[in-house]
Amino acid sequence: MADDTPKRVLVIDDATLVRRYYRSALERAGFEVAEALNGVEALEHLLAARFDLLVVDVNMPQMDGLSFLQTLRAKSLPLSSTPALVTSTESAPQRIAAASAAGANFYVVKPLHAEALVQYASLLCGIRHG
Amino acid sequence: MDELLAQFLIESRELVDKAVDDLLALEKTPNNRERLEDAFRAFHTLKGGAGIVEFAAMQEALHCAEDAFAAARAESRSVSALDIGNCLSCLDQVLEWLGTIEQSGAIPPDADAGDIVALFARAGAQQKASAAPRTAGDGWLAGLLAAHASAASTARSAVRYTPEADCFFRQQDPLARIAALPGLLAVDIGPRVPWPKLDDLDPFSCNLTITALFATSPAEVAAALGDESRHAVIEAVSDRTRAIDAESLARKAAQILEAQLQLLAPAGEPHPQGRVASAGLVAANVLRHLGRSAESEAVATAAAVSIAEGRLEPLVEAIAAAMKGPTSAAAGASAARRKDVGQTMRVGADRIDALVRLTGELIVAKNSLGHSVKVAEQQVSDLAVPLKSQHAALDRLVTELQRAVVAMRVLPLRTAFQRFPRLIREISAELDKPAALVIDGEDTEADKAIVETIVEPLVHLLRNALDHGVEDGATRAQAGKPAVATIRLSAARDGEHVVIEVTDDGAGIDVTKIRQAALDRNLKAPEALAAMSDEEALDLVFLPGFSTAKTVTHLSGRGVGMDVVRTAVARLGGQVELRTAAGRGTTVRVTLPFSVLVTQVMTVEAGGQVFGIPLDAVVETLRVDSDRIFAVGAAHAIVLRDRTIPLLRLANVLTGRPNDHSDDSGPIVIAELDGQLGAVQVDRIGGRMDIILKPLDGLLAGVPGLAGSALLGDGGVLLVLDLAEVVQ
Repeated sequence: MADDTPKRVLVIDDATLVRRYYRSALERAGFEVAEALNGVEALEHLLAARFDLLVVDVNMPQMDGLSFLQTLRAKSLPLSSTPALVTSTESAPQRIAAASAAGANFYVVKPLHAEALVQYASLLCGIRHG
Repeated sequence: MDELLAQFLIESRELVDKAVDDLLALEKTPNNRERLEDAFRAFHTLKGGAGIVEFAAMQEALHCAEDAFAAARAESRSVSALDIGNCLSCLDQVLEWLGTIEQSGAIPPDADAGDIVALFARAGAQQKASAAPRTAGDGWLAGLLAAHASAASTARSAVRYTPEADCFFRQQDPLARIAALPGLLAVDIGPRVPWPKLDDLDPFSCNLTITALFATSPAEVAAALGDESRHAVIEAVSDRTRAIDAESLARKAAQILEAQLQLLAPAGEPHPQGRVASAGLVAANVLRHLGRSAESEAVATAAAVSIAEGRLEPLVEAIAAAMKGPTSAAAGASAARRKDVGQTMRVGADRIDALVRLTGELIVAKNSLGHSVKVAEQQVSDLAVPLKSQHAALDRLVTELQRAVVAMRVLPLRTAFQRFPRLIREISAELDKPAALVIDGEDTEADKAIVETIVEPLVHLLRNALDHGVEDGATRAQAGKPAVATIRLSAARDGEHVVIEVTDDGAGIDVTKIRQAALDRNLKAPEALAAMSDEEALDLVFLPGFSTAKTVTHLSGRGVGMDVVRTAVARLGGQVELRTAAGRGTTVRVTLPFSVLVTQVMTVEAGGQVFGIPLDAVVETLRVDSDRIFAVGAAHAIVLRDRTIPLLRLANVLTGRPNDHSDDSGPIVIAELDGQLGAVQVDRIGGRMDIILKPLDGLLAGVPGLAGSALLGDGGVLLVLDLAEVVQ
């Protein structure tokens, strides 16, 4: 994979404000961003195009974030290996463990600052420094 | 002393040195996080050691110092000068205790950490009083930088602006004010005090704290903020604060890697491939983002293996290995340091000295074996040939052993130099003459005896340089010199010599004043002084009488204790020279031998005087009854194991009196001299001692029978005999 191709991030969150905030932050940092309102929409996106990172909210209508991840990880490679960053307002350890069990690569408690989001995205997508 | 306590002493001394080093470095660069961590670790390890040997007072004292550091670390502020002073006092106390332990072999039961505890308690109270509002707010900067990582990389200043509650009534818009400032990079808004319930909220009162990062300098921000900067804290964003940011990246990376291991933790049923593959992908990505490509690829390969073989182990091991590996360049460096430590072994200096002594004795034993070989040869024994070849082999091995032992005694001069920064700091404070010590070539190696003995003369020289060399502030200002004087201490290897120089940028030595002083103290006749060149006159400062009187301190040069320095250096077989340039400073150059050849001598007394006889010449000592001494013509001889050995009376030889043996009671030293045995009768046999043999120069150079001289610890001179010449 050539390094100059922008990394593609799918932001999955039912809150429009959050999607906007993440999108603007990520786009400013050079990522390409698509949005999905819930897990079902996200799967549709994923079947249509390849993404380098999913930013997933937990509480969403229709298909919540963790069910979505479970479904995703059971699909075939390479689709099923897409890195996932779960963001949630809940900080209880059992919630974090549940996300891990569902296949989340990392769990961040909201609010997630724009700069921190970019830093996590860069790490998870493996963007080379400099 | 038990082994544990001995080890504790060695290690503690090392740690104290290390901590002093770190503290002094911190004093120069208070923001050096790495040094802060190093110092903290040294104190922590010291405390740990004290715990192991159950030395409660030392534990308590160190605990206070550790707390001072922990506070500085937690509040990500620099260590205050006050803390550094207290920590040094704490280490002084520790050193004192260590000294007591060394002498008494036990932990002092009456040791009390009360003074140190009180010291830190006072400092703590003071700090809280003066810095409370600041330390409380210090967290905001780290938080701001962490929240705006990319802005932080270009930020030069950070502002924490707390507008007055009634600012709205003065038609101010605080946020607009900040937004209008030049170079704004990022801004955060929060309540100054937690928001009250909606019913209690006063919408006309401003409850905001605005924090922001700017690309402009603190001064520019302050200027643009004008009057309102009264309500703002403006901080420079330095590399230190950015380092915190880099740290946060490393921490995030470590957390993510840890989470991937969690994903791979064995569960009831096998993990879906997607889960394993995503963990591998993320781990590889994180490592790649950190610039650790090799490890990144190793993880990617391991992930492929894990998926293909349906086993988690390869990937888990690869990620775990990467987590153990360096997470930053600094960690890499400390790993390298650890490796260094692993390659050296700590041995007490006394053990090495014991080895040196044993080697010396082995040489003596080897020499007497040489004598037995000759006996065997003369008796045409069958043993002569194998004995001779064995002796030759032994000779070679002992020589090699001696060389190896000498090499073992080599130390870097750093061990001597490391206490000087502190010394200069103290003298400089005491004399109120600000000075910086520049050390050069501290890695230069020299024999342990040199490194240990040179400390005192160097202390003299450094003290002189500051006390007499460096001018007072007013004079320096007048001469256009920087207020802070520079004292340079440098060392270099020059062939078989080690050259140490102490240079100051002071006033230099006024030779006319030296001449005058020499005249005043009647050290030289006026004619002699007049005939002297400036160099010769300068050399007068080394005269013993020169240093004692008070008037000398009025000299604009040095002169205090220079005779002591010269004597100490001469005892090591070295020389001291002085160079000076009026108004520009003075250099004292000390030339020392690289390795000190320690000669073992046996002291003997003859004719009321003590002499040394090199021990490697001595075969044995004995007493014989006078009836076994008989005359052979004008000379005398004894018979020892069927051999006739010529006998001389040392006192008579040295005084030139005829060889009379009226008093034959003294002990006899049998020595091997150029392959022949000789017997020398002395009045008394003393002990053995290690000396540094100096060839004779000057008037005594041509005197036969003398191998050289050695300066004794008490300043006396021991003449060492060359027995071969004496016998002839």
